[in-house]
Amino acid sequence: MVKMTMIARVTDGLPLAEGLDDGRDLVDSEMYKQQVKALFKNLSKGHIEASRMSVETGPYVFHYIVEGRVCYLTMCDRSYPKKLAFHYLEDLKNEFERVNGAHIETAARPYAFIKFDTFIQKTKKMYQDTRTQRNISKLNDELYEVQQIMTRNVQEVLGVGEKLDQVSQMSSRLTSESRIYADKARDLNRQALIRKWAPVAIVLGVVFLLFWVKTKLW
Amino acid sequence: MGTENPGRPNFPMRPSFTPFASAPPTVRPFSPSGPGTGSESSNFRPIPPGAPPTMTPFSAAGPSPPVRFSDPSVPSAPIASVPPSGAPYQRFPTPPFPSAAQAPPNRAPPMGQPPFQPPAGQISVPPPFFRPQTQVLPVPMGSPPQNANFPPSSMNVPQPPTDSSLSGPRPNFQPPFPGYPSKQPAVSQAPSPFPAQQGSFMPPPASPSPFPSQQGSYGPPPVSATLGYQSRDQMQHPGSAPPTGGVQRLTEDFSSLSVQSIPGTNDPGLDNRSLPRPLDGDVVPSSFLEMYPMNCDPRYLRLTTAAIPNSQSLVARWHLPLGAVVCPLAEAPEGEEVPVINFASTGIIRCRRCRTYVNPYVTFTDAGRKWRCNICSLLNDVPGEYFANLDATGRRIDLDQRPELIKGSVEFVAPTEYMVRPPMPPLYFFLIDVSISAVRSGMIEVVAETIRSCLDELPGFPRTQIGFITYDSTVHFYNMKSSLTQPQMMVVSDLDDIFVPLPDDLLVNFSESRNVVETFLDSLPSMFQDNVNVESAFGPALKAAFMVMSQLGGKLLIFQNSLPSLGVGRLKLRGDDLRVYGTDEEHILRLPEDPFYKQMAADLTKYQIGVNIYAFSDKYTDIASLGTLAKYTGGQVYYYPSFRSGIHGDKLRHELARDLTRETAWEAVMRIRCGKGIRFTSYHGNFMLRSTDLLALPTVDCDKAYAMQLSLEETLLTTQTVYFQVALLYTASCGERRIRVYTAAAPVVTDLGEMYRQADTGAIFSLFSRLAIEKTLTGKLEDARNSLQLMLVKALREYRNLYSVQHRLGARMIYPESLKFLCLYGLALFKSVPLKGGYADVQLDERCAAGFTMMALPVKKLLKLLYPSLIRIDEYLLKPSAQADDFKNIMKRLPLVSENLDSRGLYIYDDGFRFVIWFGRMVSPDIAKNLLGPDFAAELSRVTLTEHDNEMSRRLMKILKKLRESDPSYYQLPYLVRQGEQPREGLLLLVNLIEDQMGGTTGYANWITLIHRQVQQN
Repeated sequence: MVKMTMIARVTDGLPLAEGLDDGRDLVDSEMYKQQVKALFKNLSKGHIEASRMSVETGPYVFHYIVEGRVCYLTMCDRSYPKKLAFHYLEDLKNEFERVNGAHIETAARPYAFIKFDTFIQKTKKMYQDTRTQRNISKLNDELYEVQQIMTRNVQEVLGVGEKLDQVSQMSSRLTSESRIYADKARDLNRQALIRKWAPVAIVLGVVFLLFWVKTKLW
Repeated sequence: MGTENPGRPNFPMRPSFTPFASAPPTVRPFSPSGPGTGSESSNFRPIPPGAPPTMTPFSAAGPSPPVRFSDPSVPSAPIASVPPSGAPYQRFPTPPFPSAAQAPPNRAPPMGQPPFQPPAGQISVPPPFFRPQTQVLPVPMGSPPQNANFPPSSMNVPQPPTDSSLSGPRPNFQPPFPGYPSKQPAVSQAPSPFPAQQGSFMPPPASPSPFPSQQGSYGPPPVSATLGYQSRDQMQHPGSAPPTGGVQRLTEDFSSLSVQSIPGTNDPGLDNRSLPRPLDGDVVPSSFLEMYPMNCDPRYLRLTTAAIPNSQSLVARWHLPLGAVVCPLAEAPEGEEVPVINFASTGIIRCRRCRTYVNPYVTFTDAGRKWRCNICSLLNDVPGEYFANLDATGRRIDLDQRPELIKGSVEFVAPTEYMVRPPMPPLYFFLIDVSISAVRSGMIEVVAETIRSCLDELPGFPRTQIGFITYDSTVHFYNMKSSLTQPQMMVVSDLDDIFVPLPDDLLVNFSESRNVVETFLDSLPSMFQDNVNVESAFGPALKAAFMVMSQLGGKLLIFQNSLPSLGVGRLKLRGDDLRVYGTDEEHILRLPEDPFYKQMAADLTKYQIGVNIYAFSDKYTDIASLGTLAKYTGGQVYYYPSFRSGIHGDKLRHELARDLTRETAWEAVMRIRCGKGIRFTSYHGNFMLRSTDLLALPTVDCDKAYAMQLSLEETLLTTQTVYFQVALLYTASCGERRIRVYTAAAPVVTDLGEMYRQADTGAIFSLFSRLAIEKTLTGKLEDARNSLQLMLVKALREYRNLYSVQHRLGARMIYPESLKFLCLYGLALFKSVPLKGGYADVQLDERCAAGFTMMALPVKKLLKLLYPSLIRIDEYLLKPSAQADDFKNIMKRLPLVSENLDSRGLYIYDDGFRFVIWFGRMVSPDIAKNLLGPDFAAELSRVTLTEHDNEMSRRLMKILKKLRESDPSYYQLPYLVRQGEQPREGLLLLVNLIEDQMGGTTGYANWITLIHRQVQQN
C-alpha cells in the first residue's frame, strides 16, 4: 500500500508536490517525512548517484526514481511489490512531466505544483489493491525489470552523506593540521639552530669583549 | 456642530489683563525689544532681523488685545482696538511686521474674522480699554503670558507660512479657535501688525503666552494665556480653546456642550440638534497615516489612540481601552492590493532575536551590510543576496524595487520552514439537520440550492474538497466516489460510539465528483421531505464530521434547526427564566452548558477546522452552547430566528453564498509584535489562543476582526516611537502558503491630552463592545453596562480635569474632538442587542447570537450596527427624473430620533443586517401603491417587497441594492412597517431609535446629562 508520495526538485531539494492525505493513520509519519527530507538533501548534494533505488526504513520502504532533475518518491509497506511501486512512480513521472515539465526549473516557491495532488490521489487509488487484474498484469510484465534496482537501508543511505561529510571534514582537518605541522617544524628548526650556535656565539662575544677591554685598558 | 463650541455670545469682556495697552509710540523702551510684538518677549529676539527701526513706534505692549471671545467662532478680536477706522496698516512704515515673518502667521486670517476690522463689530471692544492703557507701560505685561512667539514646536504643528494678509489692517489671527483641529498650526502669533491706534501698533494679539515648555513637550501649560485668553477668565467660555501649554495646547481643540439642567424639570437643557452624531459613519482618523505615511492602511490595523503613553501612570489615567483592532484580510479596493513578495532562495528577512519581519522602518547601516530591527533594535546582518548599497542619505538604492521597505502592508511567499505539511486544499464540509422542523421551514431546500449554485465559485479549483453529513436521530453519510452515478447513503444509528463507515470518499475532490455532488444536492430536499423525525443527534454528527475532516482541516458549516437532543452534547431546555435575571446565575445562561462544546472546539481548532453555525429555530436552540464552536474556531454564527424560506430565503442565500465564495485563508496563525516595553495582554474575538500571543485561526476571511489590549511592561518608555507588526501566516485557497505582514508606527507621548487628541472612536468601541460582551459572560448584564458607563465617565472626568484648572468650565461638558461620539456610541452599545435591558427585551438566543456576531465584526460594520442609518427616500422616489448623482444626495443620514419620522415620509433604516422600511401614515398613496402593488393596504407584516413594474419600485430596489453593495458581508432583508402598526413598529424600528427615550432606557440628551453629572461628581 502506498503510504506517502512526494515529488521534489533534485537541484535544491525544493518540494514540488505531495500526496493529499499522506500520513493518515501512520504513527510516525513525521519521522518518515524527516527521513525523506534528509534523503532529498543528500540527493541534491549529489551524494547518491543511483537514479533509482529502494531504501528500507522500519516496516516500510522508500522507492524513488530521479528523472529530469525531479525526484519522485513513495513510501510503501515492505510487502508491497516493488515492481508495482515503480510502475506507480513511472505513471506519476509521465503525468508530471507532461503537465508541469516546462515550469519545473522556474518554480520559486515550495509546493508550486500542489495541484498535482489530485492526480497523485487518483493514481494512488489504482495501485492500492495489488490483486486487481490491472495490477496483476503489471506484475507479470516481464519487460519492466526492477531486480537490479539496489535496495539499501535508510541508515546506510543517509549515512552516505554523513560519511562523505565526515571524510571531507577529515581531509580538511588533515590539511590544516599538516600546515600547522610544517609551521611547527620550521619553528623547531630555528630553535635547534639557535641552540646549536648560541654557546659559540657567546664565547666568541666574551673573547672579543675581553680583547676590547684589554686594548682599552692598556 | 455641537462640537464646535457653540458660542455663547455674551461674555463680559473685561480684559483682565491690563497689559495690552498699546504702547504709544513714545514708549521707546519696548520697542527695541520686540520688533514686532511684545517688547518684552524675549522670544522675539531671534527675530529681530526683520525689525526695522521704524518699528519702534509700535511697541506693542502686551499683545493681548482684549480678546473677547465672545463668540468663539469669531474669536478674539484682537485688536479690536483698532477702533478708529483702524489705521490702515499700510501707513506704517514698516508694514511687514518682522514678527510676522517669523511668526508664522498661520492661521489664515480669513478665518472668519472679518469682523475685526471694524472695531470689532459686534464685539465691542471697548476702546476705552486701550486708551488708558496707552500709557501703561508695558511692563505690567511682563507677566508671563505675554507674547510669546511660539516656536512651532512640536511635531505636528506645521509652520505657518507668513502670509500676505499682513498687510491688511486686520488684526490677524486670532488665537486658536476652538474647535480647531489640532493640526492647525499652532498658534499664531500675531503676526500681524495691527494698526494700532494712532500709529501705535498694537501688538498683535497673539501672543501671549510664552510657554516655557514649548518644545513639544506637553507639559502642563504654565500659563495660559493665549492671546485672547487673557481675558478668558472673565469669559466663561470654557469651550474655547484652552490655553494650554505649548503650541499644541494652544490649538487644543476640545469640544463642549453646555449642560445645564434646570432643577426640577426633566429638561436636560440641551439642544437636541446640536448634539454630535456620527452621520458620516466611521471616520478613520487621518493622523495615523499622516504622521507615518509608511504605516499600513487603517483598514487592516487601527489603534485606539495613535499616541502611545510613555508611562504606567499615564496608562492608568487613560481610562479607555488601550489597544488595537486588526482586520487581517480586509478587502482592499481595486488597485490597492497588497504586493506579494517572493524572497525565494534568500529566505525571508527577519530579525534574529524578535523575529520581526523586514519592514519600512528598519534602518540600514554599515554601508548596507547591517540592518537594525525597529522593534528590538538588534543589529542584524543583511544576507548577501539582499545586499544593496546605500545612497548618501542612508537609503538603499534599490528602495523602489523593494515594496517591503516602503509599504506597511506586504505579503511574503512562505518557504518550506513555514509549513508543517503541504498547503491544504480548501475544504467545505456540510452538516445538515434534516429533522422535521428543518424540512418544514424550507431551510434544506434553500441550502441545497445555494450550495449548488455556488459550486462553480468555490475557491481553490481544482483541489477543493467537499463532503456532506445529514442527521436527525441518526447520522447519514454519503459516499460520493467519482465513479458512482449517484451518492450512496449510509446510516449510522449507534450514537454512543459513532464511527465512520467508509475510509475514503466521504470527502471527495469536488472537481472529480462533481456529478455526484450535484445529484446529491438536487435530491437532498426531496429525500427528506417526508421525514417526521423530531430528534437531533447533533453531537454525534459533529463528531463524525470531525473524524472525516481531521486529516485535512477546513471549514465546517453546520445547519441546525432544533435543540440537540440525542447523544453526546445533548442540551436541555435551559429556559430563559425571568427569575434568573438580576441574580448571580444570570450569566450562566449565556455560557455553554455542556463542556463537550468547548472541548470539541479545542479539538476542531487543533485540526484546523473552522466552524460556522447557521441556526434557524423558532424555539430555543441554545445558541450560547452552539456558538462556542464558532467562537473558538474562528468562525461565526448566523442566526435566522423562525426561519421561513419564503421570507428569509434571500438572506440565507446571500449570506451562505458569501460564506462559500469569499476569499478565505486556511490553517492560519496570527501574531502581533510590538516594541520593547509594551505588550499585548489580552485578545478579543473569535479564535483560540495557542500560546500566550499566538492566535490560531483555522479559517479567516475579510469579515473578521480581532481586538487586543496593550499594557506597558516598563514603568517608563524611553523610545520616541513604538512599532507594531501584525503577521498572519496562512494558506491561500490557491494552495500557496503566505505571510501577510502589516507594520505601523505610533509616537510615544508624555501628555494625556495628546492621547485624547489621537484617539480613534471606532477602534475604542470595537474594543469596548468586545469587553462588554465578554463581561456579560461572567456577570450580569447590568454589571457589564455599569462597568462600561464607569469607564466612559472616568475617561471624560480625566479629560475634564486636564482643563478644568485653566477654565471655568462651569456646567459645560467637555470632551475631545476625536471622541465627540463617545457618549453616543456608549449609549448605542448600552442599547445594543447583547447588552440591552434584561429578560424581556431580547430573547436569549438572539442576544447570544448578536454577541457572537459582534465579537467578530470589523470596526466599520460595528459602528454601523451601533448607530444605524436612517434615510428618507420619498422625495427621491417622487422626483420625476433621477440621475445617478442624485443618489449621493439622498443618502443623507438622519439622527435616530422619532421626531425625524415625518408621517408624510418614507424611510429606510439600515443597520447593516436588515432594512426596515417605514411608511408614514400620511405617505402619499401613490408611493405605497407603486411600491407594494395591489396589497398596499394590507397589513404590512404579510407583504414582501418585490419589484413592480414601475419606475418608483425600480428606484427603491436600486437604492436597496446600492446600500447592500456598500457592504456585502451580510444581506439586509427588508421589513416593511407602517406608522402606528403596533407592536411591529415598536419592535422593528422604534426600539432601535437609540436616541429616544423608550421604556426604561435613556434618551440621548438625558444620557449626556447623566454622564455629565457623574463626571462632575469628583
